[in-house]
Amino acid sequence: MTKTTPPHPPTILLVEDEKDLANEIKTELERLGYHVQTASIAEAADAARVGDAAILVMDRMVFGEDSLNTLEVLRKEGVKVPVLMISALSSIDERVRGLKAGGDDYLTKPFAMIELTARVEALLRRLDDVRTTKLRVGDLEMDLIEHTVRRGDGKIDLLPREFKLLEYFLRHPGQVITRAMLLRDVWQYHFSLETNVVDVHISNLRKKIDARGAPSLIVNIRGAGFMLSADA
Amino acid sequence: MLDLLRSSALRLALTFAFATIVATTAIFGLVYLQIRAADEKSNRLILEDEAAKSIDHPVEELRRAFELRLTHGLRRLDFAALFTPDRKAMFGNIEELPAIPLDGESHYAASRAPGTDRTEPAIFVARVRPDGTIMVLGRSLLETYAFRRIVLTALATGLAPMLLLALAIGAFMTRRASRRLTGIHETIARIMKGDMQLRLPVRSRRDAIDMLSRDVNLMLDEINRLLAQIKGVSDNIAHDLRSPLAVVHAQLERGVESSDEQVLRRVAHQALAHIDKAMLTVAALLRLADVEYGPKSSKFQPIDLSAICADLFEFFEPLATSKSINMALEIQSPVQILGDGDLMREAVSNLIGNAIKFTPEHGTVRVSVTLEDGRPVIRVRDNGIGVEPAERDKIFQRFYRTASGHRVPGSGLGLSIAAAIANLHDLELRFEDNHPGALFELSGRRDYPQDTRN
Repeated sequence: MTKTTPPHPPTILLVEDEKDLANEIKTELERLGYHVQTASIAEAADAARVGDAAILVMDRMVFGEDSLNTLEVLRKEGVKVPVLMISALSSIDERVRGLKAGGDDYLTKPFAMIELTARVEALLRRLDDVRTTKLRVGDLEMDLIEHTVRRGDGKIDLLPREFKLLEYFLRHPGQVITRAMLLRDVWQYHFSLETNVVDVHISNLRKKIDARGAPSLIVNIRGAGFMLSADA
Repeated sequence: MLDLLRSSALRLALTFAFATIVATTAIFGLVYLQIRAADEKSNRLILEDEAAKSIDHPVEELRRAFELRLTHGLRRLDFAALFTPDRKAMFGNIEELPAIPLDGESHYAASRAPGTDRTEPAIFVARVRPDGTIMVLGRSLLETYAFRRIVLTALATGLAPMLLLALAIGAFMTRRASRRLTGIHETIARIMKGDMQLRLPVRSRRDAIDMLSRDVNLMLDEINRLLAQIKGVSDNIAHDLRSPLAVVHAQLERGVESSDEQVLRRVAHQALAHIDKAMLTVAALLRLADVEYGPKSSKFQPIDLSAICADLFEFFEPLATSKSINMALEIQSPVQILGDGDLMREAVSNLIGNAIKFTPEHGTVRVSVTLEDGRPVIRVRDNGIGVEPAERDKIFQRFYRTASGHRVPGSGLGLSIAAAIANLHDLELRFEDNHPGALFELSGRRDYPQDTRN
């Protein structure tokens, strides 16, 4: 699997009424090669209906209006565009409401920009996520049916959780994966941790999958998280 | 508001006066009716007795007896007369036979006083004698009526001062109550204007108003405590956010003035690290406010604490191993409670994370889940640095970091969040000395509901 730049960069529709924040998000996503358009809730909904948006990034409250209502309408109409909600409402109940209404991910302010871009990329890539029984990066291969991992000719024994962790990386090669995403998707922990437990798990996994002397498959991304290097 | 209180006090006073009057009137009325009945009964008995006794006397003797009785008022006979069998007056002071049955029992009838046209109420007894003559004895009721009037007047005269007294007492109570309420009202007004140290007056007598005032005072104490806590928290927030902001500011200034791109880059990274720390604090604060003051989670359902702790144990074990810390898990069969699994995981993860954080190399962290007397108990103990006795009360306070823990990164809100989550689940979080080290116990309160297990 190699990272290819699509001829037409996907259009991201951004619904955010805080101007400075909107500008920052736009700049950052454009820097990553996406085409970003700021829009009102109604404009974003219209674009999503005609398939002009690859993803919606929506603030929960825009000019005093709850964008959840529009999202619910869109989902009822059968519009399947991925939606990332941004919100200052942090309670678990609010997060659950956001996801129930049809949001694909829910990010609470304040957040680091890398957290947002990582989530956007994860949602965009999910589209090409095909049902597969084998995941492969370089000579590392995971068989999802037999529940085995091989590197070259050698079999690698992984604990169940390590297997899940590696599977998550293999499903998102070349993408920035934040600690919060791992906590949420691998362990189903919906809270932030002040310890570096995740790093320890990653380092244990590395010890098992990396070839002696070779650079690690999973690299640290400073201030953000980790990435499985896709070109290995 | 005050008018309403006043009028309600007045209403109370009037009700009191009214009730007093009704009760007094009822008692007086009963006394009057009893007296009246007794008087009437004695009148009737006397008359009937006289009639029975005189029935067999010869006519002449009867005439003398009548005269004697009428003139001397013996046994107070007012009327006495004898009539022929064809109802003509023979002698005595009644001219016409009253229209009553001749049965020897007493009956009411109007009588005409001798020589006048005036009639007066009276009771009569009429009896047929063996010789066929009719004997009539009677007694005027004028005197009885006069007596009744006297009794009534006396009672009424007693009632008037009673009424005045009731009204006076009512008015007095109204004034006193409204004065107290006005006092309370004014005190509350001053408290609302910001004089938070003021308290409502409470007298030693402990009546309803005193009890109410005492409760309000307790509430004010609690509000004061919370205000102080909030002030402490804002001071802490100010401190916790100001120091990283000040550092970031200084670093960025230095970076801007430097012409070396390398320096600028390093400065930017340092600034980012400090901002991350500030964001961590803000997120933890929001989380805490959310757990403490947010609506009770709608997701309460049966959850298994054993499974949650086993899962977290597995999650944290590699971290402990990397610090050469032993971890032990002791779990009973499923320990089910009603709760929010996400929140319970968060609380326990704070406890285990802390234990690992504050335990030196080759130490031990033990996690146990048990059911004791129907109460769920989670214990996380370590043999690390523990908590100084002087600091034990403070560790659950927001932002508090022990002197020794200050070097370890963290928002200082972990235990506060854990305690708030415990509270939400009717659990309590307590610290105990583990000799050495710390023991955090998350357990059902003494009145913990027994049948949360499905």
